[in-house]
Amino acid sequence: MMIIRFTDKSRRCVQAAWEEARMLGHDSVGDEDLLLGILRAEEGLAAEALSSLGVTLERARDESEEMFSNALSSIGISLEEIRQEAGDAFEMRIPPGRRLPLSPRAKKVLVRARKEMRRLGDNHLGTEHVLLGILHNEDGTAVRLLAGMDVSPEALEDRLYKLRSRRAAG
Amino acid sequence: MDENTRTQIGRPQDPRDGLEAVVALRRLLEALEAAQVENAFIAGWSWAQIAEALGVSKQAVHKKHARRIKDKYPGDPPRRKGT
Repeated sequence: MMIIRFTDKSRRCVQAAWEEARMLGHDSVGDEDLLLGILRAEEGLAAEALSSLGVTLERARDESEEMFSNALSSIGISLEEIRQEAGDAFEMRIPPGRRLPLSPRAKKVLVRARKEMRRLGDNHLGTEHVLLGILHNEDGTAVRLLAGMDVSPEALEDRLYKLRSRRAAG
Repeated sequence: MDENTRTQIGRPQDPRDGLEAVVALRRLLEALEAAQVENAFIAGWSWAQIAEALGVSKQAVHKKHARRIKDKYPGDPPRRKGT
């Protein structure tokens, strides 16, 4: 088990990731849920960097839904039709009784985040380290989700470092 | 759904797309199962009947769905025939 010392803000972001995953019907907490968690909790440098590039929770959720819908239509299934036909009882949400594990990709993100934390000489894992971990995972769903909103990992990283140095200076 | 989509049915171009379609399908399946079990329950089916139709044990279906449905319909089930 990996021991991570989170900041209060990043802990709330990770908790929010669980809520997002549950709401969206994910059977594990993925790297995209970590991203959505940052947006949902609206905390820390990561959220600031994201919102400065126009990434909002609303847009990110829409993009996630779009990717889901596209994956289904690639095998000939229309999510829209199913929604209409299944009626009121149809919802994606995972019921409270079921535990959601962290996905392997999300674990990789946190391992990477901890490396970033060390590299930057910090001793607590902040939201910016989590976001750097997310961005480093080029094959990840989160990076593709951001690409769908025309946000590149490079631009975000750049923004993150700028905000960081501004905070250090101020 | 356009023609381009139709030609790809069952065989997405890229392995990753194919695998992701499976993940999406699993998510959809879970949501559909939950909805159908709820509908059957409201229609007055017993857990035993629901389980039989799904091809799983009564315990399995109860464990997976009972709490959610009871939370949603506290007290007496809205439309329970028979018992």
